[in-house]
Amino acid sequence: MNGLIRNPLSGIGYRVSGVGNQITAYRLLLPAFLLLLIWPWAAMDEAQAQETAVAVSPLLTGLIRDTQEQPVFDAHITAFSGKDILAEAVSQEDGRYTLLLVAGDPIPDEISIHVERHHFQAAEYAVNSSAIENLRQSNLLHLPIITLERRITPGFWIATLVFVGMLILIALGKLHNTLAALLGTTLIFAVSYLGPPLYEGLYIFHFEDALRYIDWNVIFLIMGMMIVIAVVERTGVFQWAAYMAYRLSGGRAWLLVIILMIVTGIASAFLDNVTTMLLMTPVTIRIALSLGINPLALLMPEVMASNVVGISTLVGTPTNILIGSYGGIGFNDFLSNLTPGVVLALIGLIVYNLYTYRHDLQAHQSGGGVSDVLLQRLAQKGRITEPDHLIKAGVVGAGMILLFVLGEKVHLLPAVTAVMGATTLLVWIKPDIEEMIEAVDWTTLVFFMTLFISVGAIQEVGLISYIASGIGKLVGDNLTLAMLAVIWLSAILSTVIANIPFTAAMLPVIGFLSVNIPGADSKVLFYCLSIGSAMGGNGSLIGASANMVTAGIAERAGSPITYMYFLKKGFPALIITVGLATIWLFIRF
Amino acid sequence: MSEQKLNQVLCAVRGGPESRETVTYAIDLALKTGARLTFFHALDAEFLNYATIGPLSVVYQELVEMGKFTMLILVDRAKRRGVAEVNYVVWEGNIRKQLHQAAIETKAEVMVMGRPTRSPTQNVFKFNEMEKFAAELEAEGHLRLILVPDTPSE
Repeated sequence: MNGLIRNPLSGIGYRVSGVGNQITAYRLLLPAFLLLLIWPWAAMDEAQAQETAVAVSPLLTGLIRDTQEQPVFDAHITAFSGKDILAEAVSQEDGRYTLLLVAGDPIPDEISIHVERHHFQAAEYAVNSSAIENLRQSNLLHLPIITLERRITPGFWIATLVFVGMLILIALGKLHNTLAALLGTTLIFAVSYLGPPLYEGLYIFHFEDALRYIDWNVIFLIMGMMIVIAVVERTGVFQWAAYMAYRLSGGRAWLLVIILMIVTGIASAFLDNVTTMLLMTPVTIRIALSLGINPLALLMPEVMASNVVGISTLVGTPTNILIGSYGGIGFNDFLSNLTPGVVLALIGLIVYNLYTYRHDLQAHQSGGGVSDVLLQRLAQKGRITEPDHLIKAGVVGAGMILLFVLGEKVHLLPAVTAVMGATTLLVWIKPDIEEMIEAVDWTTLVFFMTLFISVGAIQEVGLISYIASGIGKLVGDNLTLAMLAVIWLSAILSTVIANIPFTAAMLPVIGFLSVNIPGADSKVLFYCLSIGSAMGGNGSLIGASANMVTAGIAERAGSPITYMYFLKKGFPALIITVGLATIWLFIRF
Repeated sequence: MSEQKLNQVLCAVRGGPESRETVTYAIDLALKTGARLTFFHALDAEFLNYATIGPLSVVYQELVEMGKFTMLILVDRAKRRGVAEVNYVVWEGNIRKQLHQAAIETKAEVMVMGRPTRSPTQNVFKFNEMEKFAAELEAEGHLRLILVPDTPSE
């Protein structure tokens, strides 16, 4: 070690003295000058030497991974010599750690590394004698990767049960989504803090650890889009678009269905599906009643189109926002890799709906018809109420799309674009700010935050690893099999599980598969998840929030959509659309 | 169906295709008894609380307009059939309470309603609860409830 610790000041003095040998005139002056120059430094010599010694203390570095070769952070690593502790460290986000031995102390002949982390079995590694000799020579030793095995604790079961319970509560509508997720998070923290004094295995994770799992990019992107939507929704553009569809169709019901599906689809690609359907459903029902058509013959195609087309952009669905942020998939990627498949699926969906509702759509020709007064009322309510705001929202919206597309080149995060767009719109329009703040659905943002924590809990205890490992074993190295498994499994499961928590839970699994399956680094499995989780929503009434709000409004207009009705009409649509989208993905990738 | 002279018939419906029989019954009853016909639509938007994202205030206005439009179609239909006096009301809030209140305020002798269908979402009445509600209304002496398509509850 002494051979490496050099006083840099003495080194400088030596070199400059050499120069002085060549220039005789400076022989006397130069040392005096140098002495003056280095005197303050020399006074600090002792402190500097100590500081420098710390900087070059013997280092042991290494990497902690789990059995799926994923980095393990927050592992506690201790270097022992016998029973004496030499150094301690905590692994970072990338699983790396550095053990710093005390400078000047002799390096012992035996060193062992002990690794501990909650929810993993402890691991030991004995450093061999040649490695120790290397450490003595170079003061640096790269240790081999230490792999930690998962350990199932009572905390594992509690986190798993809490997560499953949360999914059930959301699926059954027994509790508001946010309340269900908040309850889950609270239970996890209660067990984590109050359980360990009774039994250490009850620990799940602490609050500080939980915060790491919250994806703030998602939170801010959703918040920004909510503000933009709040401005757009008040302009009456949805009602106008639906009325224009009615006018353009000229009373031809089949054409009305096609136009409404396209309008709803485009709106869903840029706004969230729930908002789109909340605004489209009442006006669609009025149009259907005016034409004497069964409202469900228009509503079902609309909501299905909303679920299908919503995934063509990054901001179209909350699931895409989750996927984009986790997988590093940008606005352009979604457009180029998914939109053609979505268009294909939409064409299939249109054909399917025209066939399925052919009797309802033909029936109106012989019946229906309302008075001119009612038609005038329909026209009156189908107007744009705030054209000025709509123009401004259109300009800002176009700018946002431009930034979504071009911003990737300068690493501009979509969340930043959304917040910039929202702020620009607020400054430009100067609406009642309190009204706008109220328009932000804070409960949804809390839902996402608590959902991230709940998913983080099952990730922390290892449930996600077990699922990933199981799927990994099932599909092996076969990318085709993996694509089919992800797309169809997520589609089928999305019919019974709320797709947002499902997607959030699946992301680490897809991340693992994308790294380990040859060819999956194209992120194709993320697109499979996007398609499966969104189009799967068409399979059942509870498969998507948009379905539920549509059914809620339809029921209030006397056209209830039962679970079985939706299943009967929606499940074939799922098969058709997911099938067509699968074909596209195989062509594309 | 009673053919005695009536002053006021209240028809409480959602207004969709499934209400067709109920509306027809109420129109027929108004024509036969010479009663004034009032279509009643109660709007309960509680379900919107379960929408995680949404412009609730705008949607609420849309729902009210949807209710009014639906009722206007029924009014239109009744007028075409020749009912002399026909109007509608759209009330907002808990449907059970609104129905009860409407029974009192309109001073109707008869309320015509459709039997509830099984529904995946929250419904006003559970499937077999309607007759109990009818009995309650009659016991309080407000009016007689006729459930369509079944026979009157008495």
